[in-house]
Amino acid sequence: MTDGPLIVQSDKTLLLEVDHDQAEACRRAIAPFAELERAPEHVHTYRLTPLGLWNARAAGHDAEQVVSALLEYSRYPVPHALLVDVAETMSRFGRLQLVSDPAHGLVLHAVDRAVLEEVLRSRRTAGLVGERLGDTDVVVHPSERGHLKQVLLKLGWPAEDLAGYVDGEAHAIDLDTTGWSLRPYQQQAVDGFWHGGSGVVVLPCGAGKTLVGAGAMARSGTTTLILVTNTVSARQWRDELIKRTSLTEDEIGEYSGARKEIRPVTIATYQVLTTKRKGVYTHLELLDARDWGLVVYDEVHLLPAPIFRMTADLQARRRLGLTATLVREDGREDEVFSLIGPKRFDAPWKDIEAQGYIAPADCVEVRLTLPDRERMLYATAEPEDRYRLAATATGKNRVVEQLVARHEGDPTLIIGQYLDQLEELGEHLDAPVLTGATTVNERQRLYDAFRAGEITKLVVSKVANFSIDLPEASVAIQVSGSFGSRQEEAQRLGRLLRPKGDGRTAHFYTVVARDTVDQEFAAHRQRFLAEQGYAYTIVDAEDLVAETGA
Amino acid sequence: MATFSEHLRARSDPELVDLLARRPDLANPSPSTLASLAARATSRVSLERALVGVDASVLQVLESVVALHDVLPAVTAADVARAVGARPDADPTPAPDDDVALTGVDDALAEALGLALLWDTGTDLHPAPGLPEVLGPYPAGLGPVVDRLPDDLGAALAGAPPAARGVLDALAWGPPVGRRPAASAPEAQSAVDWLLGNGLLARADAAHVVLPRQVALVLRDGRTHREPATHCPHPPGTVHPESTVEAESAAAAQELVRLVTALVRLWERTPASVLRSGGLGVRELRRTAAALEVDETLAALVVELAGAAGFVVDDGEDSPAFSPTVDVDDWLEADLPDRWATLAATWFATTRTPWVVGGRDERGELRAALDPELARPWAPRLRGAVLEVLAGRDPGTALSADDVLAVLHWRSPRSVPPPAAVAAILREAGVLGVLGAGALSRAGRALLGPAAPAQPAERPTSGPRTGGAPAAAEDPAGAHVAAARALAAALPTPVDDVLLQGDLTGIVPGRPTPELAALLDEAAQVESRGAAITVRFTPDTVHAALDTGQTADELLARLAAHARGRVPQPLEYLVRDAARRHGRMRVGTAGGYVRSEDPTLLAGLVDDPALADLGLIQLAPTVLAAQAGAAALLDALRARGLAPAAERPDGQVVLARRLVRRVPGRSRRRRGAGGSAGPATAAASAGDADAGRARLRALVPALRRAEAVSRSGVTAVPGGVTPGTEDPVAALATLREAVADGREVWLEVVGPQGTPQRRRVRPVRVDGGRVRAVDSARDAELTVAVHRIASVTPIDPGDPTT
Repeated sequence: MTDGPLIVQSDKTLLLEVDHDQAEACRRAIAPFAELERAPEHVHTYRLTPLGLWNARAAGHDAEQVVSALLEYSRYPVPHALLVDVAETMSRFGRLQLVSDPAHGLVLHAVDRAVLEEVLRSRRTAGLVGERLGDTDVVVHPSERGHLKQVLLKLGWPAEDLAGYVDGEAHAIDLDTTGWSLRPYQQQAVDGFWHGGSGVVVLPCGAGKTLVGAGAMARSGTTTLILVTNTVSARQWRDELIKRTSLTEDEIGEYSGARKEIRPVTIATYQVLTTKRKGVYTHLELLDARDWGLVVYDEVHLLPAPIFRMTADLQARRRLGLTATLVREDGREDEVFSLIGPKRFDAPWKDIEAQGYIAPADCVEVRLTLPDRERMLYATAEPEDRYRLAATATGKNRVVEQLVARHEGDPTLIIGQYLDQLEELGEHLDAPVLTGATTVNERQRLYDAFRAGEITKLVVSKVANFSIDLPEASVAIQVSGSFGSRQEEAQRLGRLLRPKGDGRTAHFYTVVARDTVDQEFAAHRQRFLAEQGYAYTIVDAEDLVAETGA
Repeated sequence: MATFSEHLRARSDPELVDLLARRPDLANPSPSTLASLAARATSRVSLERALVGVDASVLQVLESVVALHDVLPAVTAADVARAVGARPDADPTPAPDDDVALTGVDDALAEALGLALLWDTGTDLHPAPGLPEVLGPYPAGLGPVVDRLPDDLGAALAGAPPAARGVLDALAWGPPVGRRPAASAPEAQSAVDWLLGNGLLARADAAHVVLPRQVALVLRDGRTHREPATHCPHPPGTVHPESTVEAESAAAAQELVRLVTALVRLWERTPASVLRSGGLGVRELRRTAAALEVDETLAALVVELAGAAGFVVDDGEDSPAFSPTVDVDDWLEADLPDRWATLAATWFATTRTPWVVGGRDERGELRAALDPELARPWAPRLRGAVLEVLAGRDPGTALSADDVLAVLHWRSPRSVPPPAAVAAILREAGVLGVLGAGALSRAGRALLGPAAPAQPAERPTSGPRTGGAPAAAEDPAGAHVAAARALAAALPTPVDDVLLQGDLTGIVPGRPTPELAALLDEAAQVESRGAAITVRFTPDTVHAALDTGQTADELLARLAAHARGRVPQPLEYLVRDAARRHGRMRVGTAGGYVRSEDPTLLAGLVDDPALADLGLIQLAPTVLAAQAGAAALLDALRARGLAPAAERPDGQVVLARRLVRRVPGRSRRRRGAGGSAGPATAAASAGDADAGRARLRALVPALRRAEAVSRSGVTAVPGGVTPGTEDPVAALATLREAVADGREVWLEVVGPQGTPQRRRVRPVRVDGGRVRAVDSARDAELTVAVHRIASVTPIDPGDPTT
């Protein structure tokens, strides 16, 4: 028994004691192959999954390294079955390779003949492969490259894609590095991606994923298709690219519901691509409109299913996925792995925060005791109305007021779910309200004003969840949410984590009604925050009054 | 010429004692004379039983002797060694271990002689009468001996055309019988015809041919076996570091104790109903498995272990259910190593076969856990045998089920255990922690007892060789203590602190101390178990902790005492929140109630001494609850001069009618609790063994005396002719000896009309209650049922007068 910082459980979780003096070295050793699941204050939980192990293989690690890392840092003897399983799982990656054959084009090559026999006998590979070339090779229809990779992963024999990519149409793109430069981890991410060919870069919210995309585009020097979640996000990408690269406004096209421009660099929304008319995707031609040399996927964890299907046909092009987390609530991690590619770079936010690139955050839950009248109303309400009742409790207005007063002058966001509640709050606080009904121009105007410091309070609905960029927001107050989605929590927190000019701490408040479903949902969110490593505290609304009053 | 019985008589007393000790069936019940001992020793049943206990090397020399006995004029040890391939001159380039192999043959022969499966006349070896029949018609895959053979066998074989040679090669190593080719295959047919014509094959029947033993032996280069089986196979297995074995064993042991405890806790709240056939139904097993969060196979093992240990039994109630017994409370009190040792010893000794649960029996019905029919007497023996194989290897060696099976096959080739049972026992041993990472742990070795050294001699020199009964049986208490001590040493040092975190989880970075384990058990739910334990606190778990009667402050104080660092604020909030809501509703039991719109009516009742028996308490100004039932309340209140009315659950007044109580009738059924030997019913102790030996030592001289008396009686018969023996057992023995030696006897047979008939015959076979014999004078063969034989008289071949 050594005195290592790691405890290896037989259920394949790894517990890392972070206060241990070897913890940092251990974290570096296990990060390539273990997925960080929870990172609360004392013990971080990592999990060994087949995908994680295959990601490690794709990144050039072998089972021996994994096993020796576990053995080196483990406090107790490592369960034998787990070591066997790690070696067995890792050996499955790369027994099959997709290679480019000068004579036959795309070929599935087997390092292990028996594996090829096994997968060819599966009904799932029927139709994806063509003529058999000797014992170890079989022709693959180029159009089925993606499907075959998906199927092989499902069969447990993930193929290593070594078939290379089309060059794509050249288009010079340079980073305009006056007054800034890529941060070291951004540069590593670009290099890691380029070296691997295709794949996913995992960076926490606020760590500058757009710049990694720009860096990759500059490295590629080709026409690029960028797929983003929504129009606001598309505009931000455009602005950022104009600011940070040699690209001009004329070179960047927007392909969205409003505009259909196809330019050397085209930014399209997922929504427009997945629009169907009479059962067919009407905008599929975009994918072939130019000879794209690079396809960038923003927020990979939100990629909708049809995009996966389309991506299956784009396997000959370089693909870069950007995301804050590989965890998808729909469990399609394997499709990200097989279609976009393995994880190529991953930087834990603690490192980035330590380097001063993300603002530290202080999370507070304010618990409001409902007055008896509202409690009775709540107790007798139909179950489907309860959340709304609890979330829009009138007492919350007063709490928000106090919080706003406490941070008077700091740029503050008030985030909610229910429009009438937001309207009421807007009136109460004398702040503009931004909802789904607000026009794009008006939104842009409000954002600009907020950014410029002309207004310091903004009441926003869930439209603000994704990809808005409010660099100076340092306080967020959440009054209601959509049933405790972890995704939403990450996004909202992300709003605050952009680095502040003066290194101030960001504040994130959640106001919840005590003893209601609101509190239960809040518990989910808190759990998520705590798992992400944010210390959070709970205060009673009554104490808050006393405190502010003092 | 000597016979088997004479050989037996010639054995020294210690040799006979040894024989009786090794073949206990010969001494029980005590035979009356040496002749009846010989008869018993050559009976099919006894021979079969003796063969079950021999290993492959002994079986090989037995087959070899039986095969050669009919071919060679005399079989010597050297012949056997050569025939099994252990003799250097069988191989022109002797390998260095030939001497070892040769020793192996000598040992095997000594063993066979000691067991009286062979007997010798100084140099020649003879199979015990009856042995060839038991070994079957084709010993070592060799066909029958034929009289008519080519003069020069070598030349005849050399001249065989290639097709014929192919036929010979196919039959050479047995089985020696082949089907005659059909007319549609003329080439093969002509090859077989050529062989038949040249005397290299014999006709077995119309459709089959057989390769004569002499021809096969030439083809086999004089060998009866391809490879000498003189040494037990030694599969390499996988060697794990001892720390791994101990850690995994300790982890498994903890988990098993936890599971059995959880089962007891589950069934004490909700007993599991008993099937009509006496077992635990599939649905109950599934419920139990789900509650224990294990699969059904493991749940079945846990249930069976608890049953075998006597922790749960059929309570025999009207609707019978399996419930924990009083015995379990002592066990729950004991410390972990002790509790584990009890379970492990139970597992060693139990006749239960948990691995068949979930399969189907011969009638296609599901086999249920705790079904009394699941007991198999051989189960403990097999467990001992399997573990003994592992105990014989270096510490840390893990063997696969196939490896273990190969060794067991060598140890008792006539009684190979079902592979599924061996695999299941290894699996179960892993679950128990008797094995860790597939290798025997120290605690497991301790349970096997001191009789299991790291490298035991390959063949125990004395004692029955019927495979190891668990040595724990010899000194159950000692083994228990040693095993518990070994497990205690393997368990990691207990950790007394827990890391409480803001996400409401807690992590014990090791094995928790009993107090900490109890605290977490009360107040949290476990998320992950292993070297460390991860728990999560939820409102439900905190409520459960408060249900045990502690306050929020007490719970927080206990948590703070064990927490490394301070209790995180969210957890504190959770506990306080839960406490605030805890107990805001109260629930109790009452037999009846009294209510009235008029509080003054009720006010006096509570303190009224005359109504004290009713157990009245005031719940509200207008409601009293009572321990007494509605009928008693009505009577008592009426007696007090009040005028109560009874009401129905919906508040309607019930018109005066007597409230009558009925109890369900009882039809008591009694069921046997699960059939297990239990750990306490251990086999004979060492003292008993000594007593048994003493009995055998006394028995042998008695046999000799009885023998002398009966022989002196024989010589007194006038006429000088050795009279026939009339003891049927002795008669059979004489017949078997005659078969073995090819000698003739006088056979007195009672005919169908009851008239005795005396014939001089050469017995050929004694089997299945019949004797087949050849009457050489009449040149006829006869088969006689044994019960018709009145007497058998041996004929001395040198005596012309007979």
